[in-house]
Amino acid sequence: MGEQLDQRESFALMHQMGLNDGAIERRKQVVALEPADLARIATISALVLPRIDDYTAAFFEHLAKFDEARPLFDNRALLEKAKRLKTEHLQGLVSGDYGRDYVAQRIELGRLYAVAGLEMRIFLGAFHQLLKFIGSQVMTHAERTPLEAFDAFMSLKKVAFFDLGLIVDVLVFERERIIRQQQEAIRELSTPVLQLRDRLLLLPIIGVIDTYRARLITENLLEAVRARRAKVVVMDVTGVATIDSRVANHILQTVTAARLMGARVIVTGITAPVAQSLVALGIELDRLDTVGDLQGGIELAEQILSYRGSQGNATGPRAHSAS
Amino acid sequence: MSVPILKQGDVLIASIQSALSDQDLIQLREDFADKIGQLRTRGVVIDVAALDVLDSFATRTLRGIAYIAKLRGAETIVVGIQPEVAFAMVQLGLSLDGIATALDLEEGLAHLGDTANGSAGDAG
Amino acid sequence: MPDEIHVPIEREEDVVIARQKGRELAAQAGFSMTDRTIIALAISEIARNIISYARRGDVMLRKLDDGARVGILIVAEDEGPGIADIELAMRDGYSTAKSLGVGLPGTKRIMDEFELTSVVGKGTKITMRRWLR
Repeated sequence: MGEQLDQRESFALMHQMGLNDGAIERRKQVVALEPADLARIATISALVLPRIDDYTAAFFEHLAKFDEARPLFDNRALLEKAKRLKTEHLQGLVSGDYGRDYVAQRIELGRLYAVAGLEMRIFLGAFHQLLKFIGSQVMTHAERTPLEAFDAFMSLKKVAFFDLGLIVDVLVFERERIIRQQQEAIRELSTPVLQLRDRLLLLPIIGVIDTYRARLITENLLEAVRARRAKVVVMDVTGVATIDSRVANHILQTVTAARLMGARVIVTGITAPVAQSLVALGIELDRLDTVGDLQGGIELAEQILSYRGSQGNATGPRAHSAS
Repeated sequence: MSVPILKQGDVLIASIQSALSDQDLIQLREDFADKIGQLRTRGVVIDVAALDVLDSFATRTLRGIAYIAKLRGAETIVVGIQPEVAFAMVQLGLSLDGIATALDLEEGLAHLGDTANGSAGDAG
Repeated sequence: MPDEIHVPIEREEDVVIARQKGRELAAQAGFSMTDRTIIALAISEIARNIISYARRGDVMLRKLDDGARVGILIVAEDEGPGIADIELAMRDGYSTAKSLGVGLPGTKRIMDEFELTSVVGKGTKITMRRWLR
């Protein structure tokens, strides 16, 4: 049951990483994996299969030497699962079938390493040891000419590099995911929407506003209007570094969008000189409710709310300038 | 798919349930024109909460309905525009200037009641 | 769902089909709810233009993946009368009988990439792209 869940998660991760059939084929092309290679691998599979447990043991013995791999070894369940997956990997390695299911297996093992916080260089070291081990056994025991045995091993190495590409990409992807989540958290913290009282939101904007951040601010605000059923929003731009025409347009867009949702936006913190320069730039400030300072803006908001009271609130066609 | 127009006191309400074709929108405007003409109408509420997009045609139609209503002395209010829809409209440059808007049907009715000389809008 | 979709635009119902397919493809590509709405809106506008001016045309939708980022490609083509004065049509506020005038300039604003080629008497082709941030 747990295995099925893991498999589903691996397929989901494959999808996120864009590992569709086309991508998998391209990766095989990258390592130049060809039908001739599959034929050669088949000639040594009977050699590799009986020794799989030895190979798995060797892989983990090598890993155990490093402190950095400790988290993997400290977690009993994780380690057992890793060993099981490794054994399956080696079976798949000589199977000749490297399609979606094989890739899903690689992804699953890669995910496990990511969860265990396994450092990539440690993993690479162990992987190399493993390959060396298999290689030397193939060369020693192959019932073919050394050259043929070497060729067969080189074919196997192509698949190994195919595997490596996948594991590395999973580790990188997972690390980037964490970074993305952290960035998202930082962004959310920097564009908070605060509820002052029933139906009244405060949106303090601080710092530099680029186009991307402006979008985020607007999206957050609109979602908050919906979720908290806001009738009035006080948008304070006192802390905005520079209010040029671009920022002013962002503000206008936010106000207009909120109005479409029935919320009235009072913009506070636009000083007289800034207002003048914006007007000079042709920004239609008269479409905005503007109040010089935050306190005044909040008072106006409360006035609007108490006037409307429980009779409901909607934004009419005319905006009143209260500055 | 036609949109039913309900009557609540002297307010007409249309709740749009799903994506409408241009023809449906035109039909809606015509239905409104009929009803506003036949019945004494003080207000019109159009609920677009189920629409995942409001493009220039839809916007134009809404303005058309509001215009017809205004000619008969009725106020129109559009309610239920979703956050993404509002955002997209503003980005594209579409506007409902001149038409009142509210968060939802409840707010919309309250507004109409509010603007009707202080009498309660929810006639029930 | 395939990575590339063609929606013939012959009746105004096709405008809704085109934008719904666009929305689905955008969802597949991983676009946010807001972006999906914007993409649907852009498709709606240009598909509508096809019906209004050319009466018939085609909208092609394709997921984009250049390795570094993911996006959506939208190509609207028709063999209509073409646009005589492209500069005028792309100017904000320009309006003809059937359009509000926000169609083209507005659509260009909301897409990351926008190209329009038109030959009078031959037809018009609009190519737009939007990338996932």
